[in-house]
Amino acid sequence: MNSTANGLPPKKAKPSRALQFAVAGSVILMIAAGAMFYFASQAAQKKRIANSGNETVVTINAKNCEPNAITVPAGKNAFRIVNASDRAVEWEILDGVLVVEERENIVPGLSQIINANLQPGDYAITCGLLSNPRGTLHVTPTAESDAAAKARPSMVAFIGPLSEYRVYLSTQSSALIRATNDLQQAIDSGDLAQAQKAYAPARAAYQRIAPAAQRLSELDNAINARADYYEKREQDAAFGGFHRIEFGLFSQKSVDGLTPVVQKLQTDIASLKQQLLAQSIAPEQLASMVVRNMRSIAEVRNNGEEERYSHLDVNGFAANLEGTRKVIELLRPLLAKSSGDVLKKIDTASTALDDQLLMLKTADGFKPYDQVSTEQRKQIADKAKALADALDGIDPALGLSGL
Amino acid sequence: MKKSPLALLLTFGVLQTSMSAFAATAPLDLVTPVSDYKIYVTENVDTLAADTQKFTDAIKKGDLATAKKLFPTTRLSYESIEPIAELFSDLDASIDSREDDHENGVKAEDFTGFHRLEYALFSQNTTKDQGVFADKLLADVKELQSRIAGITFPPEKVVGGAAALMEEVAATKLSGEEDRYSHTDLYDFQGNVDGSKKIVDLFKPQLEQSDKAFVAKVEKNFATVDKILAKYKTKDGGYETYDKVKEQDRKALAGPVNTLAEDLSQMRGKLGLN
Repeated sequence: MNSTANGLPPKKAKPSRALQFAVAGSVILMIAAGAMFYFASQAAQKKRIANSGNETVVTINAKNCEPNAITVPAGKNAFRIVNASDRAVEWEILDGVLVVEERENIVPGLSQIINANLQPGDYAITCGLLSNPRGTLHVTPTAESDAAAKARPSMVAFIGPLSEYRVYLSTQSSALIRATNDLQQAIDSGDLAQAQKAYAPARAAYQRIAPAAQRLSELDNAINARADYYEKREQDAAFGGFHRIEFGLFSQKSVDGLTPVVQKLQTDIASLKQQLLAQSIAPEQLASMVVRNMRSIAEVRNNGEEERYSHLDVNGFAANLEGTRKVIELLRPLLAKSSGDVLKKIDTASTALDDQLLMLKTADGFKPYDQVSTEQRKQIADKAKALADALDGIDPALGLSGL
Repeated sequence: MKKSPLALLLTFGVLQTSMSAFAATAPLDLVTPVSDYKIYVTENVDTLAADTQKFTDAIKKGDLATAKKLFPTTRLSYESIEPIAELFSDLDASIDSREDDHENGVKAEDFTGFHRLEYALFSQNTTKDQGVFADKLLADVKELQSRIAGITFPPEKVVGGAAALMEEVAATKLSGEEDRYSHTDLYDFQGNVDGSKKIVDLFKPQLEQSDKAFVAKVEKNFATVDKILAKYKTKDGGYETYDKVKEQDRKALAGPVNTLAEDLSQMRGKLGLN
């Protein structure tokens, strides 16, 4: 702004009287508008605070985050993440190796709010590029969090579903290991066509367990990070995993240099299975994991960024839905007892998304995503969002929210 | 907090558990052993399906000697997962019923499964006309495999299975009634004991938290049973027929087997699952 705080024009200039009035008038208008905006945003912030407890603003810069050490009270917290770097990045809260909450693809110049219901303890923060230093998050206990810990309902009813989900993770990660071995053999024998063919089933196997795998931040990045998360993108030496292989097979159309990449991927996937079986999943996370997975289709991946070289995106979405439906089936008996209406909404939404994806089915897979129309992409996003919203009803229905 | 009926139910569950069980096993600590047990059962039913394929192939080819040889080893994996297999009563009847479960005995039309084939192979000494029973057994085992994949294991059945298996040994193996035509009872005996011990092993960390002495006593009795069974192992890794088991060993087995059945029935309570 050019004028001083009291609304007078700078002394040097000698404008006409009429102009002086005009300037004064517009300054008054701007102050009024500013005041209105201020009160409106204050009101909005108050509302947000009422909805989500405390709000903490974090700015992602090119090489670090500010602040990088945060302390908040336990319970509902909102983090407003402002992306001041020049590329779309992610911000995650980690408990050990596990992701508690995350936001991917925060567009440069914009901000996004992450709501997290935090238990007392010490967390780490991943911030922007994978090479950036990690931040710390200290969550202090409150009277409410102490009381909630004591009031936690008996979990006997969840032993069955959680056990079955662990078995599912075990069998599906074995399937992923086999599919990745097929990929490795095709690459090693120099057979580009065969390797391209082996990529899709390996991705599908990964996407079935992606909701759980993505809790393992570092390992999952090694397996599934996009080129954008590396400083030199496709040319970055650290860029590995599935998408490095995808880049080679579908963009460069060559298996050259992929042998060490696929070997590293095999090692990472073997430890993925191990870690998936070693990490326990709390009952409330079963639903929140698949909610997050569906939201990432609705908000980010519907633009085709995930499989940008192969355009096999729908193959992955369908496998995500399979993994989500596994969770729905496991919780079905509990939901049927107490919350038939929630269950009905979920079933309607999952059928709608399934039908939408089936429309893109071809004889040997799904329509390449670069041939999927904008309207169809929007339909996928809308239906994934509707399913995520319906799945959000699970935890409150089972007495698992606010724990 | 607004509570759903289930949440209320769970809350009452807490009150009840805290009154009835002194052992404080956190329910979610049972997720790992219950799921590991499902993995164990899945592996065993896969083995059962593969073995049953070979066993029924031999019958259909008219290879009596091979069919007889494969009969006891094929059953072994079925016997180790009985607590889960028995959850499906229709399949349990068609796969594993004895002639005396049927009004018309061996002549009953619905007498099928392992023991119907055992009767033909060992009592009538033939594979003639057994193709239809062979096909039925294989189909039933495959159905069992798919039902096991689809069912959520009830934790109380899993934990209760340890005692159920030893009760099964006490009731039908010690008497030698299970494999009355082939006398291969010791294979089944071993299958039941292995299945029971597996459950105890999986829940050992939680059991030891509440009662170390209990675990020590149970393990000692398992060791005694294994030691007696080992005396009847043959060179090819199999077992002698049950008629060779000496009277004093039958008596020596009865003690620890009955004690195990009794002790293991406390596991559910100790793990907060009553």
